[in-house]
Amino acid sequence: MGNLYGDNGGVVQEHQQNSDFVNYCNKMQGNLVADMSNCGSGDLRARKNGFKANETEAKPVNGCLKNCSTNSTTCQQAKGKVCPNSSQALLTPAKKLKELAEEHTTKTSFEEVPLHTACLTYLGFYLLMILGYINQLLFVPKVAKEENRDGYVTLYDAFESFYSRYVYRRVRDCWNRPICSVPGDEVTLKDRVTKDYGWSFQFTGTETRCLNLGSYNYLGFADAKGPCAEKSEKTAREMGLAMTSSRVELGTTQLHLDLEQLTARYLGVEDAIVFGMGFATNALNLPSLISPGCLVLSDEKNHASIILGLRLSGATTKVFKHNNMRDLERVLRHNVVHGNPKAGGKPWKKILILVEGVFSMEGSIVRLPEIIALKKKYKAYLYLDEAHSIGAMGPNGGGAVDYFGVDPNDVDILMGTFTKSFGSAGGYIAGSKRLIDYLRTNSHAHCYASSMSPPIAQQIYTSMSMIMGLDGTDTGRQKINQLARNTRYFRRRLAQMGVITYGHEDSPVVPMLVYLFSKIGAVVRTLTTRHIAVVGVGFPATPIMEGRIRYCLSAAHTKEQLDYALDVIDEISDTLGLKYSRKPREPNPIEY
Amino acid sequence: MLKFLKNILLSLYMQYELVTCIYMFEPWEKKLINSFVILTLGLVLFSSFVYLPSYFETFLQFVSPLPQKEGSASYTPILQTQKMSMS
Repeated sequence: MGNLYGDNGGVVQEHQQNSDFVNYCNKMQGNLVADMSNCGSGDLRARKNGFKANETEAKPVNGCLKNCSTNSTTCQQAKGKVCPNSSQALLTPAKKLKELAEEHTTKTSFEEVPLHTACLTYLGFYLLMILGYINQLLFVPKVAKEENRDGYVTLYDAFESFYSRYVYRRVRDCWNRPICSVPGDEVTLKDRVTKDYGWSFQFTGTETRCLNLGSYNYLGFADAKGPCAEKSEKTAREMGLAMTSSRVELGTTQLHLDLEQLTARYLGVEDAIVFGMGFATNALNLPSLISPGCLVLSDEKNHASIILGLRLSGATTKVFKHNNMRDLERVLRHNVVHGNPKAGGKPWKKILILVEGVFSMEGSIVRLPEIIALKKKYKAYLYLDEAHSIGAMGPNGGGAVDYFGVDPNDVDILMGTFTKSFGSAGGYIAGSKRLIDYLRTNSHAHCYASSMSPPIAQQIYTSMSMIMGLDGTDTGRQKINQLARNTRYFRRRLAQMGVITYGHEDSPVVPMLVYLFSKIGAVVRTLTTRHIAVVGVGFPATPIMEGRIRYCLSAAHTKEQLDYALDVIDEISDTLGLKYSRKPREPNPIEY
Repeated sequence: MLKFLKNILLSLYMQYELVTCIYMFEPWEKKLINSFVILTLGLVLFSSFVYLPSYFETFLQFVSPLPQKEGSASYTPILQTQKMSMS
């Protein structure tokens, strides 16, 4: 389900994988010829660059990541027992690690689904499918048919197209809702009605002011007023709205350089590089960092942009179970010992562990200290995507690294976006100077993509310096504390109600499981009538079983707003039957 | 009182709609599924009232350890089971 609430401030850049087939169809209907030709040339050019990047990477004078030549020795040692030196390094904090892991598991909850709900979910899904097929048979859809396209790949026969027409379409009014205000603590929805069950929508001309629990506006920097907005406006007047050039040509200004420096300082690393698009930061930089012959260990719940980047890179990808360190170690050990089977068991060029800080669908936090220990033990590289955690986690808003208090230099590649906590757009990669210099010469997103717009860069700069306290106030600190309090309070109240929530108790993404497809629609619709805007997530963004409502908390929310939302949620979860949890409930009222 | 009953029935129907995903369907599809469900339920009820008592009796006779009395076999609408119980 695509679920874009708003754009700009708290843009929900999620679920590209599901909304994109809808967009894809729409696009294809419109300007098919133009699109095709564009795609063709773009593809070719990208491929050429891809080759170039790979070649340079394979050379020994490789800018950033040295090839894992020590791998063979590690191999032999790992065969016997464990490398003596790395186990020695591990011995001291081993006890602490174990404690951390235990603490993490007590704070993280993934409650099992009740059996009858599981059966009903599948039953409902099959019913939807069967009736969808009957419907498709009886009423041929009014949308465009393909004609005179002999020899082309069909565009409409795929399961996705069926799914979006006959399953997704029925509850389409719950997603892609147009908004007409800043997505701050409240958001204004443009009302619309459908007379043909989701095939088309008409605006009624009225608006609904809703409490916004759907935007990734973690620190509440998406605001139409205040210092951020004023400075951005000033920058827009002075420097214009776009640089109309890429970074390596004419798109670099002092503002970009300042921003990069500030980002590096904020994260406590040597250098950083910023990009105008968060999704592209993953999708286009991963291919320049890894190449065929490298091994990537990717968490199964990683975001679509990471998966796209891995596919583009051509590296071998092994998926490990979500946040499961034992599984990660198993895969890691197996691959260190056995090497690359395609190259006859030679060591992998590089082994990269790829995880996210806060997983946006599960609300869980990465087990960073353990991963760093594993990475050191097996001499792998670590790529940490802090898209959701930067700003939102940790006492100083420094993301998962700050939350666990680990040394940021232990993470080889720190990636993150400015889309969420900073209320802006774009992404960054931070790390050692060698890594960033390598990216400056090899990254497609740096060389060819348009530079970040100045007012957007200014918004990030202002909000980031506010978080760091450089403006002389403690607004940033207050926001971080407010978010942490809101998160704890909201999660505990939900648990007390008896609904099933996933994830870590400190993660500001709160998925509430409703399981059934129809309940996603019912909850989103009912909450909209009660003036609360939330995001529903269903298949294919989640497994069929696990339809959920995702609340995103913000520092902009006050206790009164949260109380109102929680009371309404309590009421509707009684009427709609969402209280699945069989855990013991907290009898005492929760303190804010 | 009547209103209270109506509310309970409505909320029950809502639950039924939600757990079977009927909630999402168009009216004609809802009618189709509901009539199918009612038909099935009706058939099950009908058969359980008409056939089940005699089936159950025959079954009890079949599994009971006591020897069956001659000529006292109860009437069963289906010949096959009668034969089985006789043997």
